[in-house]
Amino acid sequence: MEREKTDVAVVNMQHITKHFPGVLASDDVSLELYPGQVLALLGENGAGKSTLMNMLVGLYRPDSGSIYIRGELQDIQSPQDSMALGIGMVHQEFMLVGNMSVLENIVLGLKDLPFVPKIDQIRKRIIELSSQYGLKVDPDAIVHDLSVGEQQRVEILKLVYRGADILILDEPTAVLTPGESRDLNKIIKKMLSEGKSAIFITHKMDEVIAFSDKVQVLRRGKTVNICDTASVTPKDLANMMVGRDVLFTLDRCAFNPGEPRLALDHVTVDNPNGSRPFLDDVSLEIRRGEILGVAGVAGNGQTQLTEVITGLLKVPEGRVLIDGKDMTNASPLSVIRAGVSHIPADRGAMGVVGDMSVGDNLAMKKYRTQEISHGPVVKRSLLRTFADRLINRFVIKTPNQDTSVKFLSGGNIQKTILAREIDSCGGILIAVYPSRGLDVGATEAVRQNLIAQRDSGNAVLLVSEELEELQMVADRIAVMFEGKIMGIKDVKETNTEELGLMMAGFGGKA
Amino acid sequence: MKKLSVLLVLLLVITVSAFAQGQTEMSEETDAPFKVGVIYVSSPGDFGYSYMHDMGTKAAEEYFGDKIEVIRMENVPENDSAARALEQLVDEGCKIIFANSYNYQDYVLQVAKENPDVYFEHCSGYLSNENMSNYFGRMYQMRYLSGMIAGKMSPTGKLGYVGAFAIPEVIRGINAFTLGARAVNPDATVTVVWTNTWFDPSLERQGAMALLDQGVDVVAQHQDTTEPAKAAIAEGKYAIGYNADFRAITESDNVLVSPMWDWGNYMIPEIQAAMDGTWETQSYWGGLEDDMISLSPVSPLVPADFVAQVEAAKDMIAAGEMDVFWGEIKDNEGNVRQAAGEKMSDADMLSMGWFVEGVIGSTN
Amino acid sequence: MRLALEKRDKKSNSIAFMVPLISFIVSLLLGAIVLVASKANPFEAYAAMARGAFGNARRLQYTIVEAIPLLLCGLSVGIAFRLRFWNIGAEGQYVWGAIGITWVMQFWTFVPDAMLLPVGLVVGMILGALWAGIPGVLKAQWSVDETLTTLMLNYVAIGFAEYLYIKAWKAPLGNLGTPVFPDSAAFSTVWGKIHGGLFIALVLVVILWFVQYKTRWGFELNMIGKNPTAAKYQGVSIRRNIILALLVSGAIAGLAGSINTAAIAHRLTKGVNSGYGFTGIIIAWMAHLNPFASIVVAIVMASLTTGAAALQIAMKLPESMGEVLQGLVLIPLLAGSIFNEYRLIVIRKEAAK
Repeated sequence: MEREKTDVAVVNMQHITKHFPGVLASDDVSLELYPGQVLALLGENGAGKSTLMNMLVGLYRPDSGSIYIRGELQDIQSPQDSMALGIGMVHQEFMLVGNMSVLENIVLGLKDLPFVPKIDQIRKRIIELSSQYGLKVDPDAIVHDLSVGEQQRVEILKLVYRGADILILDEPTAVLTPGESRDLNKIIKKMLSEGKSAIFITHKMDEVIAFSDKVQVLRRGKTVNICDTASVTPKDLANMMVGRDVLFTLDRCAFNPGEPRLALDHVTVDNPNGSRPFLDDVSLEIRRGEILGVAGVAGNGQTQLTEVITGLLKVPEGRVLIDGKDMTNASPLSVIRAGVSHIPADRGAMGVVGDMSVGDNLAMKKYRTQEISHGPVVKRSLLRTFADRLINRFVIKTPNQDTSVKFLSGGNIQKTILAREIDSCGGILIAVYPSRGLDVGATEAVRQNLIAQRDSGNAVLLVSEELEELQMVADRIAVMFEGKIMGIKDVKETNTEELGLMMAGFGGKA
Repeated sequence: MKKLSVLLVLLLVITVSAFAQGQTEMSEETDAPFKVGVIYVSSPGDFGYSYMHDMGTKAAEEYFGDKIEVIRMENVPENDSAARALEQLVDEGCKIIFANSYNYQDYVLQVAKENPDVYFEHCSGYLSNENMSNYFGRMYQMRYLSGMIAGKMSPTGKLGYVGAFAIPEVIRGINAFTLGARAVNPDATVTVVWTNTWFDPSLERQGAMALLDQGVDVVAQHQDTTEPAKAAIAEGKYAIGYNADFRAITESDNVLVSPMWDWGNYMIPEIQAAMDGTWETQSYWGGLEDDMISLSPVSPLVPADFVAQVEAAKDMIAAGEMDVFWGEIKDNEGNVRQAAGEKMSDADMLSMGWFVEGVIGSTN
Repeated sequence: MRLALEKRDKKSNSIAFMVPLISFIVSLLLGAIVLVASKANPFEAYAAMARGAFGNARRLQYTIVEAIPLLLCGLSVGIAFRLRFWNIGAEGQYVWGAIGITWVMQFWTFVPDAMLLPVGLVVGMILGALWAGIPGVLKAQWSVDETLTTLMLNYVAIGFAEYLYIKAWKAPLGNLGTPVFPDSAAFSTVWGKIHGGLFIALVLVVILWFVQYKTRWGFELNMIGKNPTAAKYQGVSIRRNIILALLVSGAIAGLAGSINTAAIAHRLTKGVNSGYGFTGIIIAWMAHLNPFASIVVAIVMASLTTGAAALQIAMKLPESMGEVLQGLVLIPLLAGSIFNEYRLIVIRKEAAK
């Protein structure tokens, strides 16, 4: 392994080990970051990337090992300590106060702030910094009015303002449009040229290639490889990450759709807190044996689209039809009974009950049926058999079915949801961002399962932010923008550019 | 596991010592003092109702000296706790037990029936048993006299009264007070506020403040604390105390007079009778001829010749020449409730649910 | 070196047992400090309390009698807490139970004597359920915060009961109470002071345990309590379940009120609001909503009340000392529950390698 000997590493973590109950989250990991460098920390979920970074920013403390910052041994006990050393982290969930202005958010938590801050000076400094790095934000804008990309810039600005020169970004592009990602890349490059350095936590190969100079791959808490980004291909990285060959294409039956199972007929839903409606005259249909993909930047009505179908959101205008039957404003339970399964957008918050066991979570649809209950009484023995069957069939990795779901990895939580929803599916499957935040292996499993559903004659609605995924999995793609369907395209007759334009509100209606 | 065993041993020691303590008390001396039990609804620290009961208890202790031993329980709630407290006193060997609040009644009767060789004395109720008496005093007589003083001293004739509950005992007191005031000043009125509590310093004070806001210049009360009186004093108005001598407690001459209890005068003969074996059940309603009720010394602000007039009225009541509820008495809706020239029966007084003429307020 | 809390990998049964035990010992030690400060021998004081609560058959009976309404209120509150519905209105629902049975005993003259008690209990349950249903509907329909509504409704219920026993339903003789219930409608006694309400409470423990852990409805309550959004996505109606659970919760608190009124007070009178509903909150919490554990906790809480009286007699301590000790017992027990989820670890500063 070649190393630059001339410079002192700004970050040098040596032999870091961290134990969590039942898991060795970091197993003798060492990491070096040099000035002006971007290091990508690549690994599947649970590989130990976030743990390692959390130790660097003082959220956790290593069981053993040492951390040198700019050559000096440091004992980082808290985020305050790490901030004082110039280390700043942009978390996946932004730590911003929505109803305060950008400036107020930046001032918030500043140390050594005089009792009456000189707001004008602070504003001037913010404007200086933002033009210096291309972080275009209005200091007086209210945060919840900003787009996700802008909010991310505020987070970075916050760190820069506080003097951070080692930036840690946790999955920074997960929430951005392709355009915003490119802007972010420019910002980072600009900062590097000013002598700052950065660490990226990611599990996306294209991000690694686009952003980083050096890549360190982690697997199950251990470093498996450190190499120059220029010297590797995405496929190499994927294999290193997973530890085996990864399929980039999926087998599927020929496209042969049957009769429509689910249809939306001119559905409009107003947004009580906004000017434009959540859904604006949406019509679409999904047929037996097809996957209809829904593309679009998050927040353009996709969530509402699925909630209208599943009975969670009232429809004031238009109709929802299942097998030709009017199911507008039917209760969630009757929609379920009509055959609709739902993999919701937020696994932890909507998909599972974290404090209940894997077995109970698997039974959360079927507990109403003869398969598990006799009359009002839940038969534990039946439930256990049922759960074990699903755990085996969907290869859910869990110590046993009595483990609380919250102790599982993201991928296995998603498999739990998939297992429950597919098992109880009556022919219509709604999947919202099903592979979001999952590693390569789990993503593959999710996609294969969706295609298997389609192949067996079910109708699938797949909402995704990744065009790549939609192009790989879907038969047709509907693009949503500001609550409207910009157009529905056959996958084979469209391309990334066209879809990207539609996502940005241009063109469409073919 | 080692820590666990240490803890368990510790727990064992505590438990064993607990029951070991229990054993030592079993042996009783033959020449033990006669045990007297008392349960109070509030704390004697209230300078009110329970305080005066405790004064009576202390008078008995002083009178009997070593011959009796008193066991007190204070703040006993008016529910099953009362039964438990009474039984505990029986277990401790008490031979006569006094319970000072009306709502103990059902529990006193219940425990009395189960413990026929112990005498029970229940204050202010109406139930009795072979071994259970009830006792109370004709406080309305003192209320009448205090009403005379209030009526005399009020420049406006607007009097106020902070009442606990709209029950006959309180209503009777308000009526007597009003009759006394109107005997001196026929135009006097008495405005009533209810607190629905015997003991709540803050509510009592608020009640008095409400009256003072309406321009009342004498505040009387049927409550257990000195708060209503203090509120009146703070506004520079007059107050009429209750239970104890509020003038001494508040050190303000604005307290014109206080109708007081002297429970010792009842308790001492009852305890003596229990010791002698001559105790008999009774329903006792003592008037001022028995010294169970009294008036405190009158404030020097009240003219001496008027005090003499009050004393004269008191003597007439004691001599039976006059009484408070002597007809004709009209209620505050104009109905005649007691025909002219007749004394109201005890039964009518004990179930009084209406206000006399001159009272502003409702018995609801 | 410093101390830190670390989340436990999973809950262990031995911890679930040890934590309350150790907490209890800690509270005894805390109480001992207070007692020593008041110049009382803590051993004697605890001994007096233990004797006061369990010293002879009669006292044991009284402690159990006291535990019956506490247990019922704990069960009542527990079923609402399962849904994370903070019903602090059990006190008011209890009072409505007392009003209900009094109504039947006093005015339902068409009911044969033998049926007065069962009918009274049922009416008490219904009124308690309806009273709890009000905040339930407000929450389910309009998301009105239940902490405030349930709390305020307590005072409405207590005020109404006062109106009834002071005025509207007052017995012809005496104050602050309705007429005494007919003797024929009294509870039969089981052992000494212990009345038949004990059986009702124990049967309810079994029923509620079964409902909560073995039925579809219990499964739904568990889902809603632990993640209402996920439950909604599974087609479970949150509104319906909130209202249903509140009706059950209120019915049990109402039952506690009607049982205690029929068995102890024999009439609606002052003292009907004895705080059982509020203590029920503590019981449900300490028992981790487990009906069987609630039995033990209810007896412990009852013994604190029945034992405290002995402090006055044996130790000549003021009555308030009993309340101080009761409060002191609660703090470590409630605080101790954190150790069910976390463990204390010692971090030693390590030399850099």
